[in-house]
Amino acid sequence: MKSDIPEIGRSVPRADAAAKVTGAERYAADYYGEDLLWAAVKRAEVPHGRIRSVETAEAKALPGVVDVLTAADVPGTNRQGIVHKDQPVLCGDKVRHCGDAVALVIAEDRETLRRALSLVRADIEPLPGVFGVDAALAPGAALVHEENPGNVLLKAVIRKGEAAENLTASDVVVEETFEVPVVSHAFLETENGIAWQESDGRIVLVVSTQAPFRDRWEVGSALGIPMDRMRIIAPYLGGAFGGKDGATVQCFLALAARRAGGRPVKMWWDRRESLLAGYKRHAARMVYRLGAKSDGTLQALHCRLYYDTGAYAHLGGEVLALGMEHAGGPYRIPHTLIEGWCVYTNSPVAGAMRGFGVIQVSFAFERMMDILAERLRRDPLELRLQNALRRGDRNCAGVTLTTSTGIASCLETVRRHPLWRDRDAWTAAAAPFKRRGVGVAAVFNAMGYGRGLPDSAIAKVELTEQGGIRVYCGVTDMGQGNATAFFQIAGQILCQESGAIELVQPDTDRTLPSGSASASRTTYTYGNALIRACEELRRRLIGRAALVLLADTTDDLELLPGRVKHLRTGREVPLPGLAAMMSAEDRVCISQFIMPVARDGLDTGREFVIGFPHLLFSYAAHLAYVEADELTGAVEVKQYLAATDGGRVLNPQAYEQQIQGAVAQGIGYALCEEVQLREGRILTPDFATYVIPTAMDVPEIASLAVETCEDSGPYGMKGVGEVGINGPLPAVANALAGACGVRMTSAPITAERLLAAMRTAHSARKGGSS
Amino acid sequence: MREVHLPRTPEELWPILDGEPEVAVYAGGTDLIVRMGTGRPDPPSLVCLERMESWRGVRDESGALWLGACTTFSELLRSGDVCGRLPLLAAAVATLGSPQVRNMGTLGGNLCTASPAGDSLPPLYVMDAAVELQSSRGTRRMPIREFITGPGRTQLQRGEVLTGVRVGIPQGFQVHRFEKVGQRKALACAIASMAALLKLSGDGAVSEGRIAWGSVGPTVVVSAEVEGFLRGRKVTPATVEEAAALAERAVAPIDDVRGSAAYRRQVAGNLLRKLLYETL
Amino acid sequence: MTIRFVLNGNAVQIEAPADRRVVDLLREDLGLTGTKEGCGGGECGACTILIDGESRLSCLMLAAQLEGRAVTTIEGMTRDGVLHPVQEAFVRCGAVQCGFCTPGMILSASALLKQRPDAGRLEIRAGLSGNLCRCTGYAKIVDAVEEAAAELRGKKPE
Repeated sequence: MKSDIPEIGRSVPRADAAAKVTGAERYAADYYGEDLLWAAVKRAEVPHGRIRSVETAEAKALPGVVDVLTAADVPGTNRQGIVHKDQPVLCGDKVRHCGDAVALVIAEDRETLRRALSLVRADIEPLPGVFGVDAALAPGAALVHEENPGNVLLKAVIRKGEAAENLTASDVVVEETFEVPVVSHAFLETENGIAWQESDGRIVLVVSTQAPFRDRWEVGSALGIPMDRMRIIAPYLGGAFGGKDGATVQCFLALAARRAGGRPVKMWWDRRESLLAGYKRHAARMVYRLGAKSDGTLQALHCRLYYDTGAYAHLGGEVLALGMEHAGGPYRIPHTLIEGWCVYTNSPVAGAMRGFGVIQVSFAFERMMDILAERLRRDPLELRLQNALRRGDRNCAGVTLTTSTGIASCLETVRRHPLWRDRDAWTAAAAPFKRRGVGVAAVFNAMGYGRGLPDSAIAKVELTEQGGIRVYCGVTDMGQGNATAFFQIAGQILCQESGAIELVQPDTDRTLPSGSASASRTTYTYGNALIRACEELRRRLIGRAALVLLADTTDDLELLPGRVKHLRTGREVPLPGLAAMMSAEDRVCISQFIMPVARDGLDTGREFVIGFPHLLFSYAAHLAYVEADELTGAVEVKQYLAATDGGRVLNPQAYEQQIQGAVAQGIGYALCEEVQLREGRILTPDFATYVIPTAMDVPEIASLAVETCEDSGPYGMKGVGEVGINGPLPAVANALAGACGVRMTSAPITAERLLAAMRTAHSARKGGSS
Repeated sequence: MREVHLPRTPEELWPILDGEPEVAVYAGGTDLIVRMGTGRPDPPSLVCLERMESWRGVRDESGALWLGACTTFSELLRSGDVCGRLPLLAAAVATLGSPQVRNMGTLGGNLCTASPAGDSLPPLYVMDAAVELQSSRGTRRMPIREFITGPGRTQLQRGEVLTGVRVGIPQGFQVHRFEKVGQRKALACAIASMAALLKLSGDGAVSEGRIAWGSVGPTVVVSAEVEGFLRGRKVTPATVEEAAALAERAVAPIDDVRGSAAYRRQVAGNLLRKLLYETL
Repeated sequence: MTIRFVLNGNAVQIEAPADRRVVDLLREDLGLTGTKEGCGGGECGACTILIDGESRLSCLMLAAQLEGRAVTTIEGMTRDGVLHPVQEAFVRCGAVQCGFCTPGMILSASALLKQRPDAGRLEIRAGLSGNLCRCTGYAKIVDAVEEAAAELRGKKPE
């Protein structure tokens, strides 16, 4: 490691990169342990059914099988869940989607495990299922949860002003209905972990998780294990994107560990199991009506949003809340009526995923803006600028924007860019059988948990006995790079070189509760806490050095790499020496930070228990150069530009990583990704059928930082983990409207869908002219 | 544990095939091992042909090339003979899977898997390739069109392996074209593909056209009707449309997760449209 | 069965079931957990290793096939603690995020650059098209391979 200070504002190489490029970094999947046992679950493979029996005797009798558990063996409530605890660990009476677990098998090796699973016989009487929101909401629909008549997890309304009257009074009203599919996070490290029981009975889990502290509580309540009887260790994750926010393997592993006599038990879902049983993004239908004055000023919005949460709540209500809160886009709309339904079905469980509820509505509102622009014969970028939210405005949910609001600057940045200025020349140069178009999208994404739940982090930093700096990260790094931001904050404040700073990844025994790695919050919330902890440590080191150096004032002392120096005399005390004279307690500083919340006394959205409304948002304007093949419908994104307001940039390279990665995922969402289902069964069970973009499918992505200063953020930053994923689908769809005269309303925009739309548009034009 | 045989010569191979009738044969593993991962098939033993040197490589056989069945796709793409004299095959193989899959997968494997989406198949159909099958009992040869009998089905008998493919070098065709539509630009299974050879006369007429479509029927589709229609025909917008309509009638696609039958049919016609318009 | 091969430059002889997947052999029996598994079906490239210098998918190879081969895993890319130029470029250019695709990506990149030292950005993309990355959008990976290529050709990165 280079001996330099990892300061704020520099493209400091990631603290985790060196260990990752050599293969030395140990992910949860890389833990095996002596005398290892393997565990796996038997899945229902039936979307809805009543369990008659689960026969385990034959499996138990197989040599090498340690134990087979069913619902009857689960202590505690046997219910997992984050807000609503409605998901059995092992199903006892009923299964509600194909991935539901009915038995847990523990065996000596994987081959035995596989055979034992095939010997567990689940006798399940099929029940009529509900698939899709229409079926779920139909009168007399089968019930996914008997205690929930109507299959509605959450019905909510956000109302501002008088939308109905003002739609009627608008000069123009545009309407459209949009649909987006179920998609998978498709992180490369599938759900996994390892667990064992210590001699004192305590259970230790090493698990690929975004929320180790919440896991302890979730597992504890499901299995009746006191929180202090569990320790959860969360190494760097091989991707997560929301899909490891909430229990995946945790409850199974804790159960198995209690049957394993102290031996470690490993569970690692393969890709097929991950696609079958892992969490997904909500499919949604969105019905929009948008009214404006003839000069383009937005007047009123009415929309109805239907989110399919699948078999269990997970964070479905909160996902819907964010969708509704963002349904009006980053625009000033005086009158809004936003209605939302989050609905249970017998489909895979939808939960958290990057762009949490927002990516869905981004498609809708950004297509609506282009439809409106077309109708008014306005430049789509200018129309957006005209209506862009500015600080002091109230957004579509009625929250006053009191913090940095950079959407107009993002749009202006795109407008100044050569890719925007040269767009007509580029589209005109299309080859035969090709059509070209350029689309823009303006998007935003809230940061933090929102009201109803403290968005808190507790930072801990230590001067080690050896005189180094150790940061105890309470929040995981799933790849987004927050750990490197913490590294830089420590370096900046404590003026130490890279080699002297060590990061401890989350461990419920060693680090302190800091919430989940989610909601674009990690660097903001933990970073703010860490700044305070580091500043306190700095003061303390200087203060203690004053004692050693006999300085009568700390004003002459400076903390420098490896030492504190008395600048006037040049005398120094090395940090190891200072550490030696400090007690263990004295060498540790701890600080908590809680994110500020919106203060408007809103009279709407009262149905939301938590997660509404938000105060802080990141913004972005995206530009896509898109080419379509007239003969096959194949779509190619040729160039991409993202101008992002994420406040001040702490590390330009890490910032670009977040934008480029999010855009690439967004392109997958736009063009090829869909978990196809037929009556709750997955038709795309593997990576051969669930396809994500390769290096050939993603264009060069230019990222420009539009640096507002967020006063409440660490060094003025805001989270940018999510906002970038919201733009590609609408930008691509808008580009295709220009290129091919098609109004795409469903994602993904596959070659087949585009070709069909072009055909329809073509025959409509022909029909119109005849 | 099951045995994995690694024979180097036919003499080592025949006793294995004759002695273990249920043995599963593979070369690259990019089809068989994938399917084994899902539990089917679950053979009692395996034989891997990756070291069968005599069935590997490219040989010139006066006016034809012999392609060893155990030649990987990467080896084919590195062969000057294949790239220079069978550019249609090279173009198709270059789109197959990924670099790693091309380093492992073999031509013989692609043929024996007999997927209608197998990327090497349409070019071999248009070039009327012949396969060479061997067993301890001897050798037989047959056209590829006879060898593949249905999706995943071939004439291969128990104890017999595909050892090579003989491809006549196309003479006098100015246009060699492979087109593939997949869900993405790499690592893609064809939703529809087309391999074509066109011989054009000076007056803008097609003197000979050989065309085959992949992924639009139970096996690769060739159409005597389309080829007959094109023979000697001058390419005009009207003939293009007629040929495309014939192609759409010739194919017999199905719906699957990657695309509908209707889309595949339309694209089969459109790929021919594109090919013919580009000769104008 | 007994299998003899060269692993990261060292001759080894191991006992393993002939039909054990190479990825399991490496990770579980030999403790080389730098080789990752992402899909088990040859679709993601996370398990990429080099066999006689050529990239292969270790999830689709059986142990018996290692006999007599030279195997390079990510652990073998570093010599005496010195990173390979491709590894260095990955660190420098920010090509690593979650890092789970990184070992396979680096092995594919180094095999590509051996074959095509002059590979441009499009060729690099094609050469890495068998390695899925869900975090980076590939941009910085292509940057890194481009820089490593320049360095390996003996030029300074521009």
